[in-house]
Amino acid sequence: MNGNTGKSKLSGRFSIFSRSAAALLAALLIGGVIITLGGYSFVDVYAAIFKGSLGSSRGIVLSLATATPIMFTGLGFAIGIKVGIVNTGLEGQLYMGALVSALVGAYIPMPAGVHVVVSMLAGAVAGGLAGTLMGWFRVQFGAPEVITGIMMNSIITLFTSYLSNDPLKPPNVGSAQTIQIKETAELIKLVPKSQLTTAFIVAIVMCILVYWMQRKTVWGYKMTAVGLNPRASMVAGISSSRMYLLALALSGAMAGLAGSGLALGIFKRFIESVSNGLGFQGIPVSALAGHNPLGVIVSALLFGVLKAGATMVNQSTSIPYEFVDVVQALVVVFVAAPAIITEPVRFIYRKIADRGTASGSAAGAK
Amino acid sequence: MTYDMVISIITSTLRLSVPVMMATVGCSFSTQGGVTAFGCEGMMAAGAIFATIGAYFSGNKWVGILAGVAAAMLISCIHGVLHIKYRVNATLSGMSVNLLGTAMATLLLKLVWQEEGFSPPTEAFTKLAANPAFQWLTKIPVAGYILGEQSVYFFFCIIMIVISWMFMYKTAYGLRLRMVGENPVAANTVGINTVRYKYFGVLVCGFMAGLGGTFLSLVGMNRYTIDMTAGRGYVAMVINNLGASNPIGSALASIFFGFFDCLQFVFQGVNTPAQLLMMMPYVFTLLICLANTKRSRGPAGMGKFYDD
Repeated sequence: MNGNTGKSKLSGRFSIFSRSAAALLAALLIGGVIITLGGYSFVDVYAAIFKGSLGSSRGIVLSLATATPIMFTGLGFAIGIKVGIVNTGLEGQLYMGALVSALVGAYIPMPAGVHVVVSMLAGAVAGGLAGTLMGWFRVQFGAPEVITGIMMNSIITLFTSYLSNDPLKPPNVGSAQTIQIKETAELIKLVPKSQLTTAFIVAIVMCILVYWMQRKTVWGYKMTAVGLNPRASMVAGISSSRMYLLALALSGAMAGLAGSGLALGIFKRFIESVSNGLGFQGIPVSALAGHNPLGVIVSALLFGVLKAGATMVNQSTSIPYEFVDVVQALVVVFVAAPAIITEPVRFIYRKIADRGTASGSAAGAK
Repeated sequence: MTYDMVISIITSTLRLSVPVMMATVGCSFSTQGGVTAFGCEGMMAAGAIFATIGAYFSGNKWVGILAGVAAAMLISCIHGVLHIKYRVNATLSGMSVNLLGTAMATLLLKLVWQEEGFSPPTEAFTKLAANPAFQWLTKIPVAGYILGEQSVYFFFCIIMIVISWMFMYKTAYGLRLRMVGENPVAANTVGINTVRYKYFGVLVCGFMAGLGGTFLSLVGMNRYTIDMTAGRGYVAMVINNLGASNPIGSALASIFFGFFDCLQFVFQGVNTPAQLLMMMPYVFTLLICLANTKRSRGPAGMGKFYDD
C-alpha cells in the first residue's frame, strides 16, 4: 500500500516534469519556426541566445538578475492557483510595491541596514494590500478576480504614471520618475556593477518558505483544501473567503516584492514603466513549474536564461526580443493541454508505423 | 457646456463604443453557449495586427479586414480546442490565448516592419461624410452630422447586433445554443450536438472580437500601435455581463464605456492630467463589475459539458 502510493506519487511528479519539459521544447520549436518565417536562422538564433546567456559570466549574472522579478511574480501566481484563484492583478500589485518601496526609500530617513528592509517590507505590504482589495471584491461582491485584476492593473499603472509624471516628479528631469532613493535603501549588489542584487536570494527564500507553508502548516493545508473543493472545505469548517483573502494578500505581497527589487535594486527610484508585463510573465513561470513553489525557482531561471540571452542578442543583432514572450505564451498553452502536442505526434507516429507495416506486408506478399 | 461640445461628445462616444460593442456581441454568443468569454483580448489584438498587415501588403483595407478576422478566428479556435476538446478551465485557456495574441502582435510588429511602437500607415476607413456617396446623410439635421462622422463599421455593427439578437431569440438554432449554455446534459439528451454549438459560439466570438480589433487599426487609426487593445477584450466581457448576454442589451451597455473612453479626448485641452482621464473607463468597468455580479450570473451550465 505504502509503496504503491509512493510509486504513484513519483510517477505523478515525473509526468508533471515530462509534461513541462515537452511543453517547453514544443514552445521553443514553434517559436523558432515563427522566427525562421520572419527571416532569421533557427539554429543561429538559439545558438546566439544560449551563448549570450550562458556563454559568459556576465550573461549568467544577467540571467539570474532577469529571473528575479519573474520568480516573485511566478510564485505569486502559484499561490493564487493553489486556492483556485487566477491572480491577473500581479502587474498592478508589482507597480504598487515598486512605488511604495521607492517612496519609503526616498523620503523616510532611517539607519543603514534597517532602511532597506523596511522599504522592501513596505513594498510587500503595498502589493499585498492591492491583492487583498482584489480578494475583497471577490468575497464581498462575487466579482471575478480575473476581471477586477485586469482593471486594477490599468488603474494602478495609469495612476502611478500620473504620480511619477506630475506630483512626485523631481524638477529638471525629462522622463517620468520619482526622486532617487537614499543610499541606505539600496539593495546590496551580489556582483559589482551588475543588476544582480540580494533580491535574488530573497526570491529563492520566499519560494522555499511558501513551499514549506503549503506542505507543512495548517494554513497551507486549508488553502490547498479550498483550492481542491471549496464546498467540501466549507463543510469541514474552513472559511473559503478567508483563504481567498489570505492567498491574494500573499500573492500580492510577492508581486510587491518583485517591484521593490526593481525599484530598490536596479532603477534606484520608481519609473513609469518599471515593469513591462513582468506581472503577466508570472503565469508562464508558474505554469511551467506545475504551480509548485520549488519548481518556480527552476522555471524562473529557465526563462531568465532565455530572456537574458535574447537581450544580449538584441544588443548585437536585430533578432526581436519579443519572441521570448511568444514562447512563454505557447508554454502556457502546451502545459494546459499537453495532448495538443502528443496527439499529432502520436498520429504521425501511427501513420509512419502503418506505412511501415503496410509496406512490410506488401514486401512479404511479393 | 456648449451645444458643440455635447454633439462632439455624442459623436465620439458612438465612435469609440464600436470596437467594444462588436466584441461584446461576440462575447454574448460564447457566453450563451456556456463558454466563459475570455480570450477576447487576444482575439482583438490578433485582429488589429493582422488587419494592418493585410492592408499594408495588399494596399486594400478590405483584405485587411479579412486577414484580421481570420487571425482572430484562428485564436478563438485555439481557445475552443483547449476548452472544449481538452477541457482546460476556460479562464486559463482564455488567459493563455490572451497572452499569445498580444505577444504575437508585438512580435509581428517587430518582424514585419522592425518597428517598436507603431506600424507604417495603411489604407483606412474614413468617416462617411468624406465619402461623396453618403453626402445625403449629412443633410439630416443634427443626427446627420453625428452619423456622418461615423465609419461604415458603425452601421455594419448595428446590423450585426440586430441579426445576432434575431438569431439568438427568434430561431431554433439560437434556442439550442442557449439550451447548451443552460444545461448541456439536457441538450445532449434531446439530440443536440453540444460540442458543435459550443465551437460555434466561440468562433462567432472570435469573428466579432476580430472585427472589433480591425476597427482599432483600420478606423480608429490608420496603423497598428503597441498595446492597441488596452484591455478592451476584458471590458467587453464585463459589458456583456452587464447586458445579461443579450446582444442588444450588451451593445447599449457598451455605449457607457464609449462615453468614459471619449472623455480623455473631449477634455484634452482642459487642465486635467491625461492619465486620470484615461483611468475613467477602467474605473467605470470595475464599478460595474462590483455592482452587477450578484445580480446577473450568466447561464447555469457555464463551463459544463454534456458528459459532466
